[in-house]
Amino acid sequence: MTCKIRTELLQDGLLGLERHLLPAVSRLYGQDALIVTDADANVVYWSRSATRIFGYSAEEMVGNPLSRTIPVELQAKEEKMVNSLVPGALKRYETQRVCRDGRRIAVRASICALGGLADEPAGVLRSEREIPAGPDASVTASHLAAIVESSNDAIVSSDLDGIVTSWNKAAQRLFGYAPEEMIGRSILSIVPEDLHSEEREILRKIRAGKRIDHYETRRIGKDGTVVEVALTISPIRDRFGNVVGSSKIGRDISERKEMERRLIESEKIAATARMAANIAHEINNPLDSVMNLIYLARLNLTASSKARPCLLAAEGELERVSHLARQALGYYRDPGAAVEIHLGTLLEEVLSVYRSKLLAANIAVDCAFDQRRPIKASEDELMQVFSALVVNAIDAMPAGGVLTIETRELAEQGVEILVSDRGTGISTENLPKIFEPFFTTKGHLGTGIGLWVAHQLVEKRGGRIAIDSRTEPTCSGTTVSVFLPFQR
Amino acid sequence: MFNSQQLTLADSFSPHRIHTRHKQNGSKSKRRKPLVLVVDDERLIADTMTEILRRCGFHAVCAYEGKSALELARHNAPDFVLTDVVMPVMNGVELAIEIRKVLPDTEVILLSGQAGISDILSNGREKGYSFELFAKPVHPEKLLKRLKGE
Repeated sequence: MTCKIRTELLQDGLLGLERHLLPAVSRLYGQDALIVTDADANVVYWSRSATRIFGYSAEEMVGNPLSRTIPVELQAKEEKMVNSLVPGALKRYETQRVCRDGRRIAVRASICALGGLADEPAGVLRSEREIPAGPDASVTASHLAAIVESSNDAIVSSDLDGIVTSWNKAAQRLFGYAPEEMIGRSILSIVPEDLHSEEREILRKIRAGKRIDHYETRRIGKDGTVVEVALTISPIRDRFGNVVGSSKIGRDISERKEMERRLIESEKIAATARMAANIAHEINNPLDSVMNLIYLARLNLTASSKARPCLLAAEGELERVSHLARQALGYYRDPGAAVEIHLGTLLEEVLSVYRSKLLAANIAVDCAFDQRRPIKASEDELMQVFSALVVNAIDAMPAGGVLTIETRELAEQGVEILVSDRGTGISTENLPKIFEPFFTTKGHLGTGIGLWVAHQLVEKRGGRIAIDSRTEPTCSGTTVSVFLPFQR
Repeated sequence: MFNSQQLTLADSFSPHRIHTRHKQNGSKSKRRKPLVLVVDDERLIADTMTEILRRCGFHAVCAYEGKSALELARHNAPDFVLTDVVMPVMNGVELAIEIRKVLPDTEVILLSGQAGISDILSNGREKGYSFELFAKPVHPEKLLKRLKGE
């Protein structure tokens, strides 16, 4: 057949083809529109069936571009399809056409390149059959559309270049973009820049007809928030099995991811706490032995022995090591039973522990306690919380200053405690990290445990802890506010 | 210098002597020196504490694990038991509960290096028992003051 067409073309060009062969073929395939276009995509043959289907007469079409029957948005695609044709090979696909009366119809097209001189394609032979949009098809389509629209999962389709072709309501809810904002736009607009290569890889797999199940990744919403999603991506095929696009079903997994992160974080903290407890045990036992040994050695000495001051100094240093070990590793402790506490009394007890340190640093203490109703909590835990805050305030004012502690009841809800210093303040970049474990602004003098543990203990009690700090030389300082509810 | 070899369980404890003391005195209040049972799986801690107590006006015996400590307590009804919390086989809280069941007048004081004691203490509290706790390292003078009621 190809040889015969080539001979005809050589003898008479396309007009010869039209005269002898096409009317006969056209009669054989009566229901299909038979169209021949030349190398410039102008119509050279337009069968009667083409007139019946599209409404244009042969006179109107012959010599004119075929593009008048192709929807504007599909013209580039059609051109690409034709350019990729190998002479003699047949290509089948489904597409849309615009009829003379403006109706859009779906057609199943078969195209074949016609060879020309020196194997240059002389034109394209097309057979196009209308796909009836019968009542059943439309019912099915609307039924499916309703399912897609009412889905709680975002359902988005795109073509093989990643251009969005549909966008359901859930997608709008999840990403913030309305369908009219996204259809016709690249899907990359919701993909974070660092994941663009990932999207290209997805498209490559889809083109190869592969499906991607439950792929967890990130996307960006209209307001810039990062949304964590699980995607299932499937290729969309036409009736001939050609992959023409992809469908993506996305589920918001941000909440689950956040829970996973918290779980990992709390597991890490629990592991650290266990490790610290074990280290504390390993350190405290030998310290206990050494303390007993030094005491025994002291018991053996006379009051005038020269070794006595040495042993007393050793005991003092040992006390210091014990204190450090307790401070650094002692946060994993038994909380004790919850008791009724007046915070003023507890805070005064905390201050008495640090009285000598406050005096040495020339820090004045200004207290205003206003709490009538007690709160129920572990005394040991609250001692730990407020000790950390007082120690931090003392460390923030090495050249002296004023430490202010206030308590006040908040409308039957609970008690607010404000611990303020007039130190140098905490820089803006350090503030967000202040409650992270092992973060310290005190260099080698800090353990990075105090505020972290305080935060944990306050939250465990159902309260809140917040920090406000200023570094301006004239009004620098830090205020830590702790809220503890009456009811847990 | 202190020699820990001199203070093994067998050498440091004389049941006969203590038994006799009980017979002679009839009640704890009439004892000349209070008896303290020191329990710690760290032998050096148990031995040194026992020696300190002896030198500071107490009778003292020691054990290195819970079960022998319980036997010693049953036979000698000490005035005080100073026990470590984290010990293999029978921990300090379990020991303290058993002692309190048979010797309600014996005062039990727990000492801990703090490893994992939270659960152990909670278990004790769930059974209705709570005990005084000192965190290791504890200065001997602090313990002596507590035992002398100062």
